[in-house]
Amino acid sequence: MDDSKLFVFLLCLFAQFCISFSASDQVNSFQSVPDLEKSMYMAIDGYPCVRLLNLSGEIGCSNPGRANIVAPVTRFKTANKLAEPSALLVSIDQFEDLFARLSDDADFSRHVVGVLVESGSQLPNGLKGFSPDKKFPQAEFAPYQSGKFEWNPTGSGLMWRAYNFPVFLLSNSSTLALQEIALRNEKREKSYTVDVADFDLVMQTTKSGTRDSETCLREQTCLPLGGYSVWSALPPIVVSSSKKVKPMILTVASMDAASFFRDKSVGADSPISGLISLLAVVDALSRVDGLGDLDKQLVFAVFTGEAWGYLGSRRFLLELDQHSDAVSGLDLALIETVLEIGSVGKGFAQDDKTFFAHSTKESATNGTLSALKDALGSLKTKSIKISRASKSNPGLPPSSLMSFLKKNPETSGVVLEDFDATFTNKFYHSHLDDLSANINSSAIVAAASVVARSLYILASDKKEINNSVLNTININASLVKELLGCLLSCEPGLSCELVNRYIAPSASCPSHYVGVVLGEPSSQPYPGNVGDVPRFLWNFLADKTAIPSKNTSSACPKGCSGNGEMCVKAETDGKGVCVISSTRYVPAYSTRLKYESETWEVLPHNSSDTMGAADPVWTESNWDTIRLRVYTVQDTRFDSWILLLGVTVTVLSYIIIVISKAFITKALKRD
Amino acid sequence: MTVGAGIGYALLALGPSLSLFISVISKKPFLILTLLSSTLVWLMSLIVMSALWRAFLPLKTAAWWPYTILILTSVGFQEGLRILFWKVYKKLEDILDAFADRVSKPRLFMTDKMQIALAGGLGHGVAHAVFFCLGLLTPAFGPATYYVEKCSKIPFFLVSAIIALAFSTIHTFSMVIAFSGYEEGNKVDKCFAPVVHLIAAMLQGRIQNRNCRDWLTFHFLIPQAVPDPPKETLTNLAFGGCMIGIPLLYCVAIVTLVHCGKMAWRRLIESRSREGNLSNSQ
Repeated sequence: MDDSKLFVFLLCLFAQFCISFSASDQVNSFQSVPDLEKSMYMAIDGYPCVRLLNLSGEIGCSNPGRANIVAPVTRFKTANKLAEPSALLVSIDQFEDLFARLSDDADFSRHVVGVLVESGSQLPNGLKGFSPDKKFPQAEFAPYQSGKFEWNPTGSGLMWRAYNFPVFLLSNSSTLALQEIALRNEKREKSYTVDVADFDLVMQTTKSGTRDSETCLREQTCLPLGGYSVWSALPPIVVSSSKKVKPMILTVASMDAASFFRDKSVGADSPISGLISLLAVVDALSRVDGLGDLDKQLVFAVFTGEAWGYLGSRRFLLELDQHSDAVSGLDLALIETVLEIGSVGKGFAQDDKTFFAHSTKESATNGTLSALKDALGSLKTKSIKISRASKSNPGLPPSSLMSFLKKNPETSGVVLEDFDATFTNKFYHSHLDDLSANINSSAIVAAASVVARSLYILASDKKEINNSVLNTININASLVKELLGCLLSCEPGLSCELVNRYIAPSASCPSHYVGVVLGEPSSQPYPGNVGDVPRFLWNFLADKTAIPSKNTSSACPKGCSGNGEMCVKAETDGKGVCVISSTRYVPAYSTRLKYESETWEVLPHNSSDTMGAADPVWTESNWDTIRLRVYTVQDTRFDSWILLLGVTVTVLSYIIIVISKAFITKALKRD
Repeated sequence: MTVGAGIGYALLALGPSLSLFISVISKKPFLILTLLSSTLVWLMSLIVMSALWRAFLPLKTAAWWPYTILILTSVGFQEGLRILFWKVYKKLEDILDAFADRVSKPRLFMTDKMQIALAGGLGHGVAHAVFFCLGLLTPAFGPATYYVEKCSKIPFFLVSAIIALAFSTIHTFSMVIAFSGYEEGNKVDKCFAPVVHLIAAMLQGRIQNRNCRDWLTFHFLIPQAVPDPPKETLTNLAFGGCMIGIPLLYCVAIVTLVHCGKMAWRRLIESRSREGNLSNSQ
């Protein structure tokens, strides 16, 4: 007993000695079992590529079944040979190489079950351009034979193919985390643990086996792509008037971009620079007096869905044909000329800003082109140049004007772009077409100045142009800068002051993906079914083109009862204002679709609708959740060892206890 | 990990206790009652401790002396409860002996007394294992595993299970030693249980190496699990971690086991020779 006492005292001393060394390290600390789970499973924020369907098949990415994909994370090196199913971590400059290898090497592609794309604050060296769109985007809609002409030579066409594995774009912070994890996996060669990525990109159309638009719309496992376009008239069109209706000049821009990754469709140069330009033009012209006395009516329209088959412009033209509510006050026959503002954000070469005017038939567009020239002259600056597009171009670049031209080949239309024969935007329709290096705000201001003055000149028609008035038309450069920050970045994003003046946005990071049509399409949609950007545009345009209502003490939205009145800024804490304005939503969806009794129907091809014949009718699959997470997994051998150990310990202890019991009983000869 | 590994960890922590239960305790209903009541007493002591200390937590200081006080008070409280448990047992023993005399049945044998002490200790051990290991084991049934930085060779759940096994052993057998110590008045045996308890507590803190503050808040402020007295939190040492801590803890457990074995053997031999003398003298 003495030795055990001694031992105990020694231990006690040792422990006391140890107390003085106490230091509390900051180690993995958690407050509860759910916290423990959270630290075990690291959630990764990533932008997925989702499953889209058309009339003949599918494109995009999806898990191949109903289950999650779990695979160890490894880096993609071009000489890689994969031994087991893996999740590849690839940087953006190797992206095209990876997909080329996937289509060539069947053995390699069998082992690739998931792809993670890195992203960083800076472009990797040697990446001159990246565009997953085709070399002639939407060639099937061109009003001319496209042949082998390449508007977008950097295009790889990757976003139009179908993949049966998940692909995610990582955010900047997740990229660092995953690079570390991949490195860790490489270091531990013979270990019994490995870090895996868990992809949840299960698409409903895969689960239900509906592999094209028609079946999936019928089974309601998908929704059609589309949204709401916005048009506005400056000054407002008063329908019931004794005055003769004026001929109209339509200025057009588009608001939707596309990319390989659905939620990262930024589209800074194509097409948001054009959109911002149009908004600046409206702002500048709204400050001009006497627009109502001019000969022509100015109308501005912003279409959505243009990247997916010119949904907005085609639907707009269809509604004009049907004289529907959405376009009341407008008449296709009265639209004299169309001016489209395309990508204008890169219109700079050294200090000069150069734009190109692509036009339809020369005879029809002489008026517009001379107006542009006069406007340029009035600006009295040598740094802006506008040239006509090269004659070797087969026709218009991909733009909404193509819809107008297909409808009426005699349309007079001009598209203002920052390129001539090939896109200057090397990141067309990719997640890299963003604010950081791709566009220049002074180019947008320059384009907007020219367009604003040209519109005034066009609207004045042959009358004597009042130069003093013309010279007061100036673009607010700070508005342009503000719009760039609000629409093209996450800081401040849609929580910026300008946007919050008009709407209550649902998210801070703007995404210009067209989205799907929620609910029934109508000219007065439920605001929850309309995206943040269209709602902002509607409110902004309505506010800028408005005539104040006579009934000033009205509280929106209940109080706007007058003729042509509408409620602006309705979402901002009940401070809505009633104004007289002609600003409306126009639903934008494929002309081959019809919404009837809560479902979408694909209409048979109508011979008068030539664009509809080429329309693939894009739909997007539904899904439950999309999630990406990373955690450590043990070898199955290790798990079996643990089970064996537990069972052995239990059985062994049982045997020992039984033996001791027998021993004691025998030794005491009782009990 | 998977369901198999989860079951493995659970068996590792509670397997020997289960074997002990099946082979010894389940045979006599009184022992089962003793086990349940001692588990309950241990739980209530945790609740009282956490209620008392809730006012002072979370401790925002990095100094070590509040944690020492915390550990000392809680170990002291539990040991005090052990003495109370002993007194209640003594009274019960008198009642049972009186009843046995009345119905002319033999009194409690030494083995019976030791079995009661064993059941009491097992109650404490099982409660400790359940709340410290099984409570955390739910994530172990999922696909992922978890490694703590300081102990990067062994999964966290394995460490948890091993510690729970050691502790249940310590609790079970130190109760036997303590009861025998109180009965005989043996100083070493009487001090054995508190000292071993304290050492094991500090060792656990060292092995699991969690930030003291967070461990305290974890165990005191989560609503679903019963809060644990802070004895397990002290020393977060820079060296060793689980590589030194776990073997040391098992040393303590083996010392307890050996000491208990030696003491039990001695007492049983003594009582048998005493009874032998009695029967001889009759």
